[in-house]
Amino acid sequence: LAKKNKEQKMGNLVEEYFEAHSSSKVLTSDRTLQKLRKRRLDQVLLQWIILLNECMDLNQTGTSLIPCICSLFCSLGFNIVLYGLGSKRDLLEKFRTSLLQDSVHLVVNGYFPSITVRSILSSITEEVLDHTGTFRSPLDQLEFIAKRFKEDSSLELYVLIHNLDSQMLRGERSQQILAQLSSLPSLYLIASIDHINAPLMWDQAKLSLYNWLWYETTTFNPYVEETSYENSLLVQQSGSLALSSLMHVLHSLTLNARGIFRLLAQHQLEKKDSPSYPGLSFQDFYQQCREAFLVNSDLTLRAQLTEFRDHKLIRTKRGADGVEYLLIPVDDSTLTDFLEKEDEDV
Amino acid sequence: QQIQENLNKQLLDNLVSFLSQSHSDFQEKTTEWTCRMKFREIPTAALVLGVNVTDHDLTFRGLSDVLQDNITPYVALLEAKDCPGIKNLMQKLMGQLMKCDIDVESLEDEDCVQVSQNRIRCSMPSLISWYDNVTKKTDSETPSKKRNSSSRHWQSPPVVVIFKDMESFTTKVLQDFIVISSQHIHEFPLVLIFGIATSPMIIHRLLPHSVSSLLCIELFQSLSCKEHLSTIIDKLLLTSRFPFKLGGKVLQVLINIFLYHDFSVQNFIKGFQLCIVEHFYSQPLSVLCCHLADIKKRVYSLSHDQCENIRRLPSFRRYVEKQESGKQIELLTNDSFLKEETEKLLEDLHVYHENYVRILRCLHVFTSSLPKYPLGKQIRELHCACLENRVWETEEYESSLQLARMLNKTDLVTMLQQCVEILMSSSGKEFDRAVEKLKEFLTQFQNLEAEASQERDVSVSPQKELQKKTDLYHLQKTLLELKESRRSKKLTKFEMLRFEVVDYIDSLVRRYLVPADERTLHEIVYFNAAAVLRGHLNAAPRTALHTALNNPHWYLKNQALRCDGGGISNKAPDICIVYKLHLECGRLINLVDWLEAFSTVVMAAEEPNADAASSDQVDDVIHARFIRAVSELELLGFIKPSKQKTDHVARLTWGGC
Repeated sequence: LAKKNKEQKMGNLVEEYFEAHSSSKVLTSDRTLQKLRKRRLDQVLLQWIILLNECMDLNQTGTSLIPCICSLFCSLGFNIVLYGLGSKRDLLEKFRTSLLQDSVHLVVNGYFPSITVRSILSSITEEVLDHTGTFRSPLDQLEFIAKRFKEDSSLELYVLIHNLDSQMLRGERSQQILAQLSSLPSLYLIASIDHINAPLMWDQAKLSLYNWLWYETTTFNPYVEETSYENSLLVQQSGSLALSSLMHVLHSLTLNARGIFRLLAQHQLEKKDSPSYPGLSFQDFYQQCREAFLVNSDLTLRAQLTEFRDHKLIRTKRGADGVEYLLIPVDDSTLTDFLEKEDEDV
Repeated sequence: QQIQENLNKQLLDNLVSFLSQSHSDFQEKTTEWTCRMKFREIPTAALVLGVNVTDHDLTFRGLSDVLQDNITPYVALLEAKDCPGIKNLMQKLMGQLMKCDIDVESLEDEDCVQVSQNRIRCSMPSLISWYDNVTKKTDSETPSKKRNSSSRHWQSPPVVVIFKDMESFTTKVLQDFIVISSQHIHEFPLVLIFGIATSPMIIHRLLPHSVSSLLCIELFQSLSCKEHLSTIIDKLLLTSRFPFKLGGKVLQVLINIFLYHDFSVQNFIKGFQLCIVEHFYSQPLSVLCCHLADIKKRVYSLSHDQCENIRRLPSFRRYVEKQESGKQIELLTNDSFLKEETEKLLEDLHVYHENYVRILRCLHVFTSSLPKYPLGKQIRELHCACLENRVWETEEYESSLQLARMLNKTDLVTMLQQCVEILMSSSGKEFDRAVEKLKEFLTQFQNLEAEASQERDVSVSPQKELQKKTDLYHLQKTLLELKESRRSKKLTKFEMLRFEVVDYIDSLVRRYLVPADERTLHEIVYFNAAAVLRGHLNAAPRTALHTALNNPHWYLKNQALRCDGGGISNKAPDICIVYKLHLECGRLINLVDWLEAFSTVVMAAEEPNADAASSDQVDDVIHARFIRAVSELELLGFIKPSKQKTDHVARLTWGGC
């Protein structure tokens, strides 16, 4: 009976999957955050608010596990992986400060967006093995490390990796190298994973190299460090153009230049409903500017456009017919706001 | 702890030696074959090794050792991950071959001049690692080098190249290598060995006809991993050599991981190792888990605390309760008396093990030949069944006994003979009686044969009568009579005997195959924490996340968080609220609606605390918390930003998970 139940459950699951993915039409409301009339919080402000509200933090149960048995298992060639909800950073830090204090250890922040396997390997070769050579490929470097570890049996190294499943490390090749690294007899790996599909990275060969010992550590700690690098939709990206910066740049320009930009913006807003709008072609734009007495020659317009491009106010795109099209890479609502502000100023 | 290390090592050594032994005949075959194939065009051996990739390392290492000892010094092992291109492959190959060269020649030390010359030339590349390999890697140089270093070898030995994992090589590299080497086959005798995990079909799929026609392939089959498992269980668990034993549940977990997940013997061994460590770490009385000879010494060196530990064992308590009161007091208060008693009990436990294994094998002889295998085909299944509960109370045992009662004579006799052999091999006196009894049965059977021939004569007579009477009525009547008599007929001697034997076996089973849980002090020797083991070896991170997000009270021990069914408690962590709200959505989620739903839930929690005077500020805070929760969900992989619609995210999971 239980089996039948399970089968039914499985069937339900499958059905649910197709249900979720069958209808191409998605029924959600069309509201956007812009309409919320709420300014987007920028990242700094966000962190401020969160820090202020740290008082309502969760009680930290689940941290009961401080695996002192770890070292024992490590010496048998097992590597330890922590999984579960919540940041495991503090736990690993505690583990590190309490147990690994006097042994050689290396901490890798996997969530750091510019981490690579090569940097891990070179930190091992440079800091731990005191070797100042360069290597052609990570494989050679790995071979070198393996050789050194085999020669010198007194060498022991603990490697702690926060978020083994982060964007940078989840690639096939980097996992392969890490797995080979972890299979070295006197190198002990202690890692944490968060992504639900993290175990998909490992095939059988890698799993046997890693030789994992799983520990469930559900802490409910907020992912403060980890998500600080995660770009969310709701947080204003510092890279993209904001209204305020747009205003700033344009205020420092001449009147004619502002006029030129206005013209382009108005044109873009008029055409915002047509999805295939490629932008304004240079010739048309030149014509319009001439008609508005904003420029007198091809050359001045080009110079002006170059200045805009340097400030990342416009983007040029070559169409299929070889004509240059001009676009403002700012979303429409910001552009509308901008025009309204301009009108107020005038 | 040293002892435990020793034990561990002993186990592993045993395993490794066994594994290599089991591979050896297989290796022998291949080596013989390579010997034979020396001078033809690229000979290739395809080894079908099964999907347990992790175990193959040992096989290949053993194979290359054997090859090196017997035939040729030139063996190179290539792995797919080292050879993304033909260049790397040649480099690697050269490096390994030269290293082989040096190794072998330094061992032989024949004519020093040439050797030293050779060594200088070859040690250069090994010193400056691959820098020189780059210069030597061109394949035009390969044959020349080959010729001058191997000319004085007895007869230019073949160079064996082993491709460890055929499936993961890129097609192009493999093809190129084969084509190149086939060009030089005359000066450079090459033998290829492919390790194949799936089926020999893969050769034809990977290599086009033009390439595979250059090869002369012979197929070799290795032992299936299941046989490995059964032999390992046989050697590890069903001996009395190792004092450490696995409980029924734990064994079941290990076998399940093996059969349903990876077929890897290596992993099985790792799991076993983990069991040993856990046992010796967590159980304070595991000091006593040692060989019979050491027990006495160790029991007497026990401290008072350890004695208390013994008293606390549940099985020991059960034992005490069965004793009379005077002895009970002695046991519970007097340490030295307790020690004596413990020693006796531990010795009993050892004796029990020896008997257990023997009888288990006997029973296995019986059950493994029954149709449909009610108790399982393999001895491990029988072992599990015996460990878990009283085997004679199960239905399967009932049915197998019934089947056994219908066995014919020849089978029964051979089985009895096997049982006798098994029991004879034990040195203990315990079985003398049993053996005698079984022997007696055997002689009785032999007697029966003689009697049976007489009986046949007797049985002929009614049939003769039958033939005499010809009319229909009489015939019917006699037939009915015959039937009657047959039904009421007393069982033949053979049948009587058969029942007797089966009953006797049954009694043996009942006496000796008592599950270990019911023995006193079994905790010392048996490891039973199956849940721990499963958690460590075969974890389910997804399930853990799911329960944490759905029922945070499970972890946070806060009864306020408990809520029924699909309800959302507003005291739960932010991420749980956000998660539950996201469960209600379809494939795409509108961020604004999501935020609003979140803020309604959270506001309900807030309101009792503070009135909504500073609503604007609270709103900001809620917004920030929402953002954080959403980005955490993104980090966990439940959602991802979507470009389909503005301010929407796509859900990556479906259903309730």
